[in-house]
Amino acid sequence: MFKWSIIFENLPFLLAGAWTTLSLTVVSMIFATVAGLLVGLMNMFGGRVIGAITRVYIEAVRGTPALLLILIVYYALPRIGLNLPQFPAAAVSLAVCYAAYIAEVFRSAVESIPKGQSEAAFSLGLSQAQALRHVILPQTFRRVLPPLANEFAALIKDTSLVAFISMEDLLFKAKIIGARTYNVFSPYIGAAIIYLIMTTPVMQWSRNLEKKGE
Amino acid sequence: MRLVVDGLHKSFGSLEVIKGVSFDMDCKERLVLMGPSGSGKSTLVRCINWIEPPSAGRITFDGKLVEPGKCDIRRLREDIGMVFQQFNVFPHLTALQNVALGPLVVKKMARKAAEAEAMELLAKVGLSHRADHKPGQMSGGEQQRVAIARALAMHPKLMLFDEPTSSIDVELIHEVLDVMVKLADEGMTMIVVTHEMGFAKEVADRVIFMDQGLIIETGTPCEVFEHPQQERTQSFLSKVDLA
Repeated sequence: MFKWSIIFENLPFLLAGAWTTLSLTVVSMIFATVAGLLVGLMNMFGGRVIGAITRVYIEAVRGTPALLLILIVYYALPRIGLNLPQFPAAAVSLAVCYAAYIAEVFRSAVESIPKGQSEAAFSLGLSQAQALRHVILPQTFRRVLPPLANEFAALIKDTSLVAFISMEDLLFKAKIIGARTYNVFSPYIGAAIIYLIMTTPVMQWSRNLEKKGE
Repeated sequence: MRLVVDGLHKSFGSLEVIKGVSFDMDCKERLVLMGPSGSGKSTLVRCINWIEPPSAGRITFDGKLVEPGKCDIRRLREDIGMVFQQFNVFPHLTALQNVALGPLVVKKMARKAAEAEAMELLAKVGLSHRADHKPGQMSGGEQQRVAIARALAMHPKLMLFDEPTSSIDVELIHEVLDVMVKLADEGMTMIVVTHEMGFAKEVADRVIFMDQGLIIETGTPCEVFEHPQQERTQSFLSKVDLA
């Protein structure tokens, strides 16, 4: 049965897992955002070939489970000599996965800026890159923050997939406690509460930003 | 400044909007383009600075044929200012930053100098007191005047106005027209797409009347407005007069 005491007794253990979860999320998110912006821009302005390549990447990632990517990076890549330790392997897979989603976030934000804005920039003699840097991207900033915050919350949850490569994140720690105490209820509920404590403020922040944007 | 447009065509997909338009103009000339909606007049001015790449035909600016290499077109755009129907001011920048952006980014001017000049231009369009305001806090008339100052900051040799007053509240239109008249008095070369007959009569050296992608009639305001030769011009003018 569910016992609060099991959660409390194992709280430091769970929190250590939560720390892994959070640091993995932050590191993956930073790389995913930078890569997502670059991929999004290459997809929109890179010309036909680069546009097609990035489109294939985006669709491939969106159409396959993130878990598969993690397993490929951690178990399959070493077979061809690319050996990554747990944390980097997890961060790379999650970043590669989320960069595709974030590329779409940036694409739709850029496309939501009225065409007249770039026309006005071009009419002054700005190049495509200058128009992006000085006119278009600054205007997308406020529009991308709410969806980016949503992706961040989703990523917090998706990091639980790294339990499959035995990384000791929050979920994995809960599983260990369950095995040790023969009580699966309590540690999983405890983990759920800690996940909620991490995701709820981010989602709330995103909602506030959206309201402010309107 | 001399602009020669020769046999210009523009199609969007299978729809041909401009069906072979030729005209030329010299320095300090003021041309007003009129015609019913869909006649191709907006598209024509947008082709001149290559915001819409023409489908066929030649544009010669200052004796140089404009070739669709990217640098060439960017040089051309530095010399041709444009004012849009929807203003298209940059909402994330203040009025001052809007005006200073071109000189800062394209001409690599020093910030101090660019902002000082932007301040002068804002004074010229009567908006010194709005320098630190963003477009969201301004009326349509004010936004359009910022847009005019922004275009002037590049010291263009030619100014294109694409229905500059069509999206502005009636009681504010004169603010914008006054600035345009002032520019004309200073000798600015300009092409203006507008239905403002008063402005055309006061300012234009030549009126070009377009319909269905072709130039139907051209002449002085007096010739075109008082003694239109073509039936389509007559019928259009009678409708504009009523409105």
